[in-house]
Amino acid sequence: MGYASDKPQKGEHVMTITANQGSHVLTMAVLLVVGLLLCSRGLSMAQALQPACAQPKEVKGFLTCADVEKAEKEGALVYYGPDVERQLVGILKKFNELFPAINTNQYLREQTGRLYAKLNAERQAGTYFADVLALSDYAPAFDLIKKQGYTIYISPQLVAFDKQFISETPGMFTWYSLGVAGMTYNTDVVLAAEAPKSWKDLLDPTWRAAINFKDSASGLQGVQWFVLRQLYGDTFWKDMMQQKPRTLPSTVQQYERVINREDKIIGLGQYSTYLEFKAKGAPLAFVVPTEGVVSTPAIVGILDKAPHPEAAKLFIDWFLSPLGQAAHTQLSFTYSPRQDVAPPPGAVPVSEMPILQLDWKAYIASHSKYVREWNALAGM
Amino acid sequence: MESRFNTQTLITWVVMVLCAGLVLYPLVFLVQVALNTGDAQTWPPAQYGLDNFDGLLRAPKVLLNTLHVAALATGMAVLIGFSMAWILSRTDVPGRRTLESLMSLPYYVTPLVGALAWSALGSPRGIINQLWYALGGTQALVHINSPEGIAWVMALFEGSVAFVMISAAMKSMDPALEESSQVLGAGKLETMLRVTLPLVAPAVVGAVIFVFAEMLGSFSAAAILGMPERFFVVTTAIWTLVVRFPPDFPLAAAMGLSLFGVMLAMMYLYRRVMHSATYVTITGKAFRPRLIQMGWRRWPLFGVCVAYLCVAVFLPMLALGYVSLLKFATVIPKDIAWTLDNYRTAFDLGPIREALGTSLTLGLLTATSGMVLMGLLSWIIYRSHTRGAGWLEYIVMFPQSVPRLVFGLGLLLSWVVMPIPVYGTIWLLLVGYLTVFLPLGVRTISGVMVQLDKSVEECARVCGASWLYQLWTVTMPLLRPGLIAAWVLLFIASVREVGTSVLLIGPRTKVIGPAIIASWESSGLQLTAAMALIQVSIVFAALLVLLIVAGRMVRIEGE
Repeated sequence: MGYASDKPQKGEHVMTITANQGSHVLTMAVLLVVGLLLCSRGLSMAQALQPACAQPKEVKGFLTCADVEKAEKEGALVYYGPDVERQLVGILKKFNELFPAINTNQYLREQTGRLYAKLNAERQAGTYFADVLALSDYAPAFDLIKKQGYTIYISPQLVAFDKQFISETPGMFTWYSLGVAGMTYNTDVVLAAEAPKSWKDLLDPTWRAAINFKDSASGLQGVQWFVLRQLYGDTFWKDMMQQKPRTLPSTVQQYERVINREDKIIGLGQYSTYLEFKAKGAPLAFVVPTEGVVSTPAIVGILDKAPHPEAAKLFIDWFLSPLGQAAHTQLSFTYSPRQDVAPPPGAVPVSEMPILQLDWKAYIASHSKYVREWNALAGM
Repeated sequence: MESRFNTQTLITWVVMVLCAGLVLYPLVFLVQVALNTGDAQTWPPAQYGLDNFDGLLRAPKVLLNTLHVAALATGMAVLIGFSMAWILSRTDVPGRRTLESLMSLPYYVTPLVGALAWSALGSPRGIINQLWYALGGTQALVHINSPEGIAWVMALFEGSVAFVMISAAMKSMDPALEESSQVLGAGKLETMLRVTLPLVAPAVVGAVIFVFAEMLGSFSAAAILGMPERFFVVTTAIWTLVVRFPPDFPLAAAMGLSLFGVMLAMMYLYRRVMHSATYVTITGKAFRPRLIQMGWRRWPLFGVCVAYLCVAVFLPMLALGYVSLLKFATVIPKDIAWTLDNYRTAFDLGPIREALGTSLTLGLLTATSGMVLMGLLSWIIYRSHTRGAGWLEYIVMFPQSVPRLVFGLGLLLSWVVMPIPVYGTIWLLLVGYLTVFLPLGVRTISGVMVQLDKSVEECARVCGASWLYQLWTVTMPLLRPGLIAAWVLLFIASVREVGTSVLLIGPRTKVIGPAIIASWESSGLQLTAAMALIQVSIVFAALLVLLIVAGRMVRIEGE
């Protein structure tokens, strides 16, 4: 709405002025309401994200609410997670370089299922070893929330994270990594013009017995199953069974098979692994499907009854800070959920990766159906 | 007259109770898990039933695959083991002592490392086929990802176990029996089949049972070679159940325990064979072991031994060495890019160094304490008249009839609740290893025990020796080949152990087997190959020292 460029007729002018004034008032009213709403949301967010301390301290380049002296007296940090061991050791080493008094050699690296089973067994027996728990799937995290297994700690770093990367009750867990997946192929075997452009193209009979996915233990695979089922219905994966795809326990094995020309397409190719292999000279190309890429959380939180609580808080504050996130991005080739952290080496900005969204609760509710169907697809 | 509660009785009962406790205590927890038909995440179970036990019946293909591969692999492994044992224990093949020392290497290399290597060597796009294509071949020459290929890889590495078990018995045979056969006109082959083989039948049957049970519970080769080709066996099906969230431990436990029936049947058969005849070859009469003179045939036999070692050890190690120097694992010539970074990364991983140290320490502890415990168990089962000794033999074999990953769950649940704080320490791993290796140690020593004539021990007792003195001065020296064989096997088995370890390791105790598995799962073949070679080299150095000492102890006098 604006002013007419010609001088209006009298009646019109009045009417115009009246319309303009009305539109101004309406605009102001809308702005006021929106502003009030935003303020109230902002207030509730601010209240929800009120850090654990009133005045976070800056320590070695990041803000923390942890008592550093106490943390160093505790002397250790015990980390449980499914991360690639090299990356996990690298991150813990960087933290230890900043705080040498905190031993970081005690960690347990396992796939999520076994990791959670061990953690469960320990806690049910009243044994508490772990301080920090990382997971690559929401389902065990929700189970742990039901068991009140998390300590609520609102790190001062959380203000830099979008709401979607923070647990519903802030401070339980936070995304520390944003991994995305599309499709990958060997450029020596598949021409760019022939390569699939959309997820649906994977059903082309050309790719029969030439595609690989991850196995049912993979949270990311579950996400892809759920999302494409939402897009294309149940028939998509039933049709995919006719393609006789292979399922593998790890992303690295998927890429190794394609590099060695045992398969032609990675039907769920993690972008981080693509970047790593590409940097080493592997003949690969990554496809961002027309529908969008899928992504899965890597989340971290402090456990209830952690034996070294201050060390755990200090670690979380560092890990979620730009320093820790940059270190992790460099090691893992994944994106950080923080917008002030650069993408991994060689990666496109995350804005160029349209991410398919899903209802996490509905996804978790369908998890057992996914496992059954996926094992059948794998030939089990 | 000896008092009722003499040393022998006391020690016998302590060992029996200890063994039963080690095995049955975690088994009780495992059975509870298998009967859990409620929430799998809740402990103790809220609801019991038998629903999980039809898991195997719902997947008959998995069971048939398992039996097919296990039977094939056992046949090949025992054939390899018997042949090598006969060649190296009974003939004058050149380089016999060196070859004998090297024969434990395949077992040490581990099926995991072997499967990784053969994956690089024998897959449709592997090194062997690439060479074949370069020579003009159009179809793959070797397909290691088939059931037969999986059985072949398994047999290559378990063949050395069969060798150790059978050769220990062959070394203890009086050659006069074979000489008599030849004097009466039988040829060397006929003598081997009609005299030697029947006399070492306990060791052969023991090896068959042990190796078959190992194959039933074998995971690495089936996972690395079979799963990508949609070929599943019981262990890989169980693996799929436990790695995901939520892990289905009740179904996994039920599937694992279902293999009991097969093992019980085999144990019954073994006991029938043992009690139907006598296999005594070690008597009070001294004998000088003599080798069969093979003439020109020594050299082909030498070739057979070298060929086995090449295929089982050197070729896989070369393949892993090649892969470990690549930036990414490939056999496509134009994509090859060399680097030493994998070794830098492997050495930089501090916990890997710790894991190696812990594994070596555990190996020594397990082998030494295990040899004593299992030696006593063998004596109790085959020599004592203690009530329940027969049942003890079944109990000892239980851990082998359940896949180690599943038995490890029972150990985890049973020991995490103990008031003694062993959970998360090296002592829990020691307890776990002693438990799961009971069948290995007892089978190895028993193969020699049954060859020992009772009259030898009875003479010592009649002359006034106490039971302990008789054990120390008569029984143990005669059992020396079996005891040393058991020590070596226990050491190697302990260092390479994976299935039980994955659930028993904690943040403070890491061992090398799970570290290599973790690397295979997440880091790629090239780093895994580097780690595996580092492990093999360091432990080989330790084993070499031990074998030199052991070799001196069993050297046949007068040669």
